Amino acid sequence: MAHKILFRPTLVLTLTFHKTPFSVSYHPFRRSQQQPFSFLNTHPTARTTNNTHTHLWCSNFSTTTTTEGSEKCYLYLTDEDLMRQCEMGTFKSSGPGGQHRNKRESAVRLKHLPTGIIAQASEDRSQHKNRASALSRLRSLIALKVRKTVDLDPYSPPRELLQILPPKSSIRGSDCGPQIGPNNPRFALGMQALLDLVFAVEGSVSDAAKYLGLSTGALSRLILSDDSLRKEVNDLRASKGMKPLK
Amino acid sequence: MKLTLSSVYRPHSFPKLLNCSSFGILGRPFCSSALSSSPTCVKPQVPLFLRPPIYSTKLCDLKKWHDWAKGVSLSIGSTFVQSDNGADSNMLCRELKWLMEDAVEDHSLGMEDDDRVKMRIDIEELYCLWTQRVQERRPFQYVVGCEHWRDLVLSVQEGVLIPRPETELVVDFVSDVVSENEDLRSGVWADLGTGSGALAIGICGVLGSEGGRVIATDLSPVAVAVATYNVQRYCLQDKIDLREGSWFEPLKDMEGKLAGLVSNPPYIPSEDISGLQAEVGRHEPRLALDGGIEGMDALHHLCVGAALMLKPGGFFAFETNGEQQCCALVDYIKSRSGRSFCNLEIRADFAGIQRFVIGFHQ
Ligand SMILES: C[S@@+](CC[C@H](N)C(=O)[O-])C[C@H]1O[C@@H](n2cnc3c(N)ncnc32)[C@H](O)[C@@H]1O
Repeated sequence: MAHKILFRPTLVLTLTFHKTPFSVSYHPFRRSQQQPFSFLNTHPTARTTNNTHTHLWCSNFSTTTTTEGSEKCYLYLTDEDLMRQCEMGTFKSSGPGGQHRNKRESAVRLKHLPTGIIAQASEDRSQHKNRASALSRLRSLIALKVRKTVDLDPYSPPRELLQILPPKSSIRGSDCGPQIGPNNPRFALGMQALLDLVFAVEGSVSDAAKYLGLSTGALSRLILSDDSLRKEVNDLRASKGMKPLK
Repeated sequence: MKLTLSSVYRPHSFPKLLNCSSFGILGRPFCSSALSSSPTCVKPQVPLFLRPPIYSTKLCDLKKWHDWAKGVSLSIGSTFVQSDNGADSNMLCRELKWLMEDAVEDHSLGMEDDDRVKMRIDIEELYCLWTQRVQERRPFQYVVGCEHWRDLVLSVQEGVLIPRPETELVVDFVSDVVSENEDLRSGVWADLGTGSGALAIGICGVLGSEGGRVIATDLSPVAVAVATYNVQRYCLQDKIDLREGSWFEPLKDMEGKLAGLVSNPPYIPSEDISGLQAEVGRHEPRLALDGGIEGMDALHHLCVGAALMLKPGGFFAFETNGEQQCCALVDYIKSRSGRSFCNLEIRADFAGIQRFVIGFHQ
């Protein structure tokens, strides 16, 4: 029933903002992201900003968490817990707001306090959904920007990484299920682990490919399949004087 | 009584419109036996995105319309921002994209100019609609007949206030309160001046299927009709009881029984109405905005009534014009019925403006 789909129980989270406690309901269900009317380009695509190009290393800001906790980092948090680490704001409106105003400005800006990473969303028609988009964008940014040290001797890739590898990888067991692609929310976790490995081998795709039981070509294709992943790898390679992947 | 999609659609009730300047451009009123029980005969309109895709146009014609509409939007620059803090070109372009989303059925458009695109509205009408949006400053939400609010998509039309993002927070307050209090969750709630039904439907969602009912009232027959439509679209007619009448008048049977009471009543001081943003002042109903000389006529009335209608421990939340009204309202409550209420609090909206007064009945 179409009406049913539009109305789902919401999961409620509480966070603090301007000393006033309030809660936001986060809507876990999102319509698959269509990219309609690409010929139109009526407005710049959703922006994500982060205020740094340097990578954050997990150990730098783990405080009282256990080693286990800091190793796993933020992407393993539930939406609710991740949201608790964020400061949320809308863009300050001028004027009295409320009934005075009709402006579909429902942009949301999340600042992840432990890392300073900022994600925002303004493309949706409801503030509610912008909150959900900003949070999922924050996950991708964390995956791209927060690095963990990797033990290469011996290297044991986490399951999330195995799941984004193509089936032909020789270390990917059949129990990993079908390959997870960039549109799956769980891709961020695998991407983070992949970047950790690429950083550990200082940008060498052929070295990383060996650890993953893949040919260099197959790993390159995987990296190129996601624009932000490709950019991150190429930025690293550029900083080491290596040629970009194309 | 379930409202089926086919009864929502009524494919043949949307004749081509000839007169572009009149309101009601969104097609002939929706008509269904399911709605004939509403007290008056106002027929709610079907939002654009729910209409059947019975039109088709060539991709090149759609592009042509789009380029024209975009040009119109860009020519506005910051004119509206300067005159009354209205939308700028960027905002209009974003609205244009949303209008496309609602008007075009098949989003995976073909590539060739001659490919045909299925539409929910005639391309000629799109020209009219965008002219209304920009020249007459008709609110975008009335143009498409809906507003996205929380996780809902609510039908709106002339005569009904377009729900505001600020008001979304009232549902969160209720959600917090009932998450700690089963008694309130299973009780009867009231939303006075429900307009499109936004708060009533949102609250019904957080009460859950095991939770209590909501009674929603409004003085405006158009509001009651539109709220009825929205309630039926979400299949909540068993949970939400819509009553036409002034504030507490239709609630006489509920004296001392309400678990909760919420309202976003008209609160703009009368003298501010003429200076409002054109979309609001020229197009939204004055009944929904004008709160009397100081803007607090309805708020005062609601506070007095709340003391009477709420059961012990019952919760209330009211939206106000801002800090000044919040403080004045708290003072009013304390001086008039100080002992009736406890835990009075002022809460801010997302922009940091003190917006809401909440509290509990003793
Ligand atoms: C600001 S609107 C709020 C609508 C809706 N609750 C929302 O938040 O979107 C105020 C509503 O109060 C209604 N109203 C005005 N005077 C009323 C009265 N005397 N009794 C009941 N409702 C009234 C208006 O028709 C309007 O729908």
